[in-house]
Amino acid sequence: MTSPAATASGPAPGGFVRPGGRSGLARLRGLLREAWRAAVLGLSALLAYRLRSFFVIAAVSLGIASLTVIVAAVDGASKKADEIADMFGPDAVLVFGGNIVNRAVGARTLTLTWEDAARIRQSLPGAYIVLPMRSKGNVRLKHESNNYDVPLVAGTTENYAKAWNWPLVEGRDLTAEDVQRGGRVALMGDKPARELFGDANPVGRTFLMSGVPFTVVGLLQYRGMSGGGGNVDDRVVIPITTLTQRFNMDRRYFRALRVKFEDTAGMDAHVEDLRSLLRHLHRLAPEDPDDFTVLTAREVLKFLAVIKGGLVLFLGVTAAAAMVVGGFVLANLFLLSVTERRVEIGLKKALGAPGRAILLQFLMESLALTLCGAVGGVVLGALMGQALERLGLIEMVLSAKVFLLALAAATAVGLVFGLRPARQAAALDPIQALRGGE
Amino acid sequence: MTTTHLAAPGAPDAPGATDTPGTSGASGTSGSPGTLVELSGITRSFRQGDLTVDVLRGVSFSIAHGEFVAIQGASGSGKSTLLHILGLLDSPTTGRYVLDGHDVSHLDDDARSEARNQLTGFVFQNFYLIPYATALDNVLLPGLYSHKNLRAQRRRAEELLHRVGLGDRMDFVPARLSGGQQQRVALARALLNDPALILADEPTGQLDSTTSADILDLLADINRTGKTVVVVTHDAETAARARRRIVIRDGVIESDGLHGDGAVPPPGAASASAPSDGPSAGPSSGTSGPGAPA
Repeated sequence: MTSPAATASGPAPGGFVRPGGRSGLARLRGLLREAWRAAVLGLSALLAYRLRSFFVIAAVSLGIASLTVIVAAVDGASKKADEIADMFGPDAVLVFGGNIVNRAVGARTLTLTWEDAARIRQSLPGAYIVLPMRSKGNVRLKHESNNYDVPLVAGTTENYAKAWNWPLVEGRDLTAEDVQRGGRVALMGDKPARELFGDANPVGRTFLMSGVPFTVVGLLQYRGMSGGGGNVDDRVVIPITTLTQRFNMDRRYFRALRVKFEDTAGMDAHVEDLRSLLRHLHRLAPEDPDDFTVLTAREVLKFLAVIKGGLVLFLGVTAAAAMVVGGFVLANLFLLSVTERRVEIGLKKALGAPGRAILLQFLMESLALTLCGAVGGVVLGALMGQALERLGLIEMVLSAKVFLLALAAATAVGLVFGLRPARQAAALDPIQALRGGE
Repeated sequence: MTTTHLAAPGAPDAPGATDTPGTSGASGTSGSPGTLVELSGITRSFRQGDLTVDVLRGVSFSIAHGEFVAIQGASGSGKSTLLHILGLLDSPTTGRYVLDGHDVSHLDDDARSEARNQLTGFVFQNFYLIPYATALDNVLLPGLYSHKNLRAQRRRAEELLHRVGLGDRMDFVPARLSGGQQQRVALARALLNDPALILADEPTGQLDSTTSADILDLLADINRTGKTVVVVTHDAETAARARRRIVIRDGVIESDGLHGDGAVPPPGAASASAPSDGPSAGPSSGTSGPGAPA
């Protein structure tokens, strides 16, 4: 290909040059052929140096696995945050007694009264559900021979399911009548229902709560999420009046107030109205801080974002460190490889390999290994993630994005950390390199 | 640099010379068609700290197509450096090198690689086969950088392996081949791109005498097909196989002549020109020709 043109050029100075007349397409095909054959040769080299290849793949795999876990976990956390916010509802707020942001020492947390609830229901524009709530932890439930300690018994008023956008799969919601007469009726979360009644439909059945018989009137849909304070499905909901009577609790105050508005558009104004009203009802002076806390979906998201941010930071640092460590292992093993394969490099150059062919060969080898590492890492990461998920530490969402990110990261590591050894190989003087082999 | 020392056309050591272009013209002017290698005033200096070491101090000679030349010298004589320059692994500090019609004295790295790939074939003392590649893949190695059709190259590689007697061992990795067989693979590899110039650096240095003789026979065979062969050696017996012998000492040519004891010292040892009357003086003393004692 070159000779005829070169011959034609004669013994002019610099006579041996690549003929310029070669078409772009032919040049491209030549380059492709060169790349392909370099790849084939590179692969046989990787097979020849199996142990070293294995270490590089292992090192990169660990980095990619961390990356996989972090991306999947962050995606999982995002999804969960969205679900939580969704469940919370964009059209609703939750008011707690006490100020959880600036909690003064000894400040009362029971500040919300029945009167507050009544006044809000009466005079807050746009509010269509006002749901006071109290709760009690760890109550013994019993049905026939099944005993179960439910971590949360919530006392509330009518329309609980509606207020929490929590559909009932069976039965009905609590009614005003239940609340008025202190009825011994209960809504059941999925978990206690299973514990007491197995797979049978619990609606209409009776169980004992601290020795008092209750009838199940509704079964709450399975939500399968572990919120901050444990499994949301692990609860029993009864009328608040029944709760305070049966467990002899204070009857004036309740812990939290769920308020649902008719529209989401004016949420900021609604929240401001609610705050003013509560401050007025609690007779707070302008300089006094709120003695309650209003939580909106946005704040829930913000709060979750902070948690997520911590997760991203922690896992991100871990993953980055792992990738960098993998990269250094790669770079060092390749530098070793270049030294060890000096003769091969010198020989190839002596046989006419231009520097770029050697560079390409080593970059290809590096890339091949890191890409193997990427695949291994994603698999390893998925397994690690599954283990962590089983331990209840994180929730993972594996997607194509994870895989693409892993490939991108591996490619970057392969190119960045493979470049120096590859350039070193390409720059080797064939005479010196061959002498090294004698 | 007018005349070249070259074997007469159709000389016994270059029977294939008739199919190399231009052997008919024995005029031997610079860059003439019959001349493959033309070195004029080649020097090569290396810096060692503040010292400049002149390894080659003005070397000039020509080699015609189809010659079989031994470059002989003790270690430190400069013969390796001369080989590196001949093989385009190194560039001269000063002087002019024309190879197969191309001025290759000062090429850049890439052009030198390509010229090496197309114009020269190397045979090394240590064989230098890639340990993880089969004999066939080793032979194909120079083809990796020559942008030629793979299938045709493969056919040629197989053909060459048959020619060096390893047709039944193409799939063997070097570790499964004897030293002599490995050097045969290296010979086949040197021939793959059909280069004009075969350079052998102590090709028998690692081999016992029987195997050495085989390899030298093979080199002679290759030469007989018209290839120009240059063997660099310190070994007189190996050098004796070549028709022409160039002895180098302390960076200059000590003698250059056709085979026999009548090697003629070039007029004015360090001066550049090759022996202008070589052809007349040479054959008179070196009559043994191809039947040189092994």
